[in-house]
Amino acid sequence: MIRLEHVTKRFDSLEVFRDLSLHVADNQIVGVVGPSGSGKTTLLKLVAGMVQADEGTIAVDPGAIGYVFQEPRLLPWRTSLDNVAATLRARGWEKTEARERAAAWIERVGLKGFEDYHPAELSGGMAQRVSIARAFAVDPRVLLLDEPFSNVDLALKDSLMEILQRIIREGQTTVMYVTHDLTEALRLADRIVEITPERRLRELDLSDRRAVAAEWLSASLGKL
Amino acid sequence: MLFSILGAVAILVLWEVLSLYVNRAIMASPAETAVALARLAWGSTLWVQLLITLKRLVIGLAVGAGVGLIMGVLAGLDERARSFFEPVRWVGMTIPAVILVGLSMLWFGLGDFTVIFMVALIVIPTVYINTLSGIQGVDGRLVEMGRVYRFSRRLLLTEIYAPGMAMPVMAGLTLATGLGVRAVVLAEVLGAMSGIGHAFTRAMSLLEAPEMFAWVVVLLALMAVIEFGVLRPLKRRVTRWRKVPQ
Ligand SMILES: Nc1ncnc2c1ncn2[C@@H]1O[C@H](COP(=O)(O)OP(=O)(O)OP(=O)(O)O)[C@@H](O)[C@H]1O
Ligand SMILES: [Mg+2]
Repeated sequence: MIRLEHVTKRFDSLEVFRDLSLHVADNQIVGVVGPSGSGKTTLLKLVAGMVQADEGTIAVDPGAIGYVFQEPRLLPWRTSLDNVAATLRARGWEKTEARERAAAWIERVGLKGFEDYHPAELSGGMAQRVSIARAFAVDPRVLLLDEPFSNVDLALKDSLMEILQRIIREGQTTVMYVTHDLTEALRLADRIVEITPERRLRELDLSDRRAVAAEWLSASLGKL
Repeated sequence: MLFSILGAVAILVLWEVLSLYVNRAIMASPAETAVALARLAWGSTLWVQLLITLKRLVIGLAVGAGVGLIMGVLAGLDERARSFFEPVRWVGMTIPAVILVGLSMLWFGLGDFTVIFMVALIVIPTVYINTLSGIQGVDGRLVEMGRVYRFSRRLLLTEIYAPGMAMPVMAGLTLATGLGVRAVVLAEVLGAMSGIGHAFTRAMSLLEAPEMFAWVVVLLALMAVIEFGVLRPLKRRVTRWRKVPQ
């Protein structure tokens, strides 16, 4: 469960949100779309407690948060395996079990064989997948995804989305999923909210997903 | 490497040439120095004095680096501590070393304590500043990541802060060691009755040029051992992960 009530957030003179409210029920997947600079990342940071709201209240289920940042944010001095394992150790796992579980997740995101690589030796998309493995491995109660697949190719994106759908089905996970790509959100999300250029939240009507997708695609196609 | 060897040879040649033209009583040739050095090493003098100086240096460095590190970490984590230490750092960096030796001689007399106190005091500001800039240079986004994943204080320190500030801290320790060697000799010249610095002064007052130069060579050798035997391997260890292209 994620609950934001009448939240206002300013950075100095810039007001990113005013009186924003959003309720996400348990195990719901909410897609968040909106133009660059509209406040998508800020919304996730508010939920994660990384930035504080100036007004209003934010309540989030206790328990682990999995966060796939917009950039990988890996420890440069740790291998991909140890990046995942370090986070598991923070959640109380013993060293050996943490490494075993980390290895299993590294494999699930398609990086078997790259366990001992340092982040600088990975491609952007590979580093992004380590970040995804790290977020999924902690068994998150709340999963915050900031354009998690922006750097991976279509085939891999498909398989990662399947993993995501599986852990969402298996586990008790509430998800906020930021993306530029509305069709991606339509595939995964139960609900989609759009941050409008005026920085208001607008919930999309998903009774006909194909229609929504068609409209969005034709808008992009129209620019060709 | 080739040019480093050439550089070393150039120093030797220059030394040799100078010694040909300068009065024997104040300038020894490389060969005379080598003989004096062998004589000192043959008896126990060299080793006894070397050990005395080394002991003072190591204790002084350890104390100074420890204090500087702790101050730097505190200042890096807390604005108030930083403001509090700022005048201390300024005074420490501004007072000339000679005055510090003079004062500590007055307060603690001649001997070990004066020298160790000197070395520690001289080293603290450098270690402090490098530690502080190291901790301020730690990637805030990684710290944020650690917080979101509920890293304990200990994990934040060992996984994020320590490796993140290893480079500047190592640079600080290297500078501090160089300063420490100079400080220990200065303090021994002025404020002790033993150690390499004192042995050098003694040789100087007896106009024993070869022995004077021999002690200088001993100092250089000591510094080389510390730099290549301790500091470089340590630095390589803490920055091993950097061997990969950035
Ligand atoms: N720490 C900060 N300090 C000051 N302003 C900030 C800060 N973080 C974000 N902002 C501002 O808040 C606004 C929203 O930023 P945010 O990163 O949330 O956008 P976004 O929707 O995630 O954009 P993108 O799609 O490009 O990632 C921007 O105008 C940005 O300049
Ligand atoms: Mg963003």
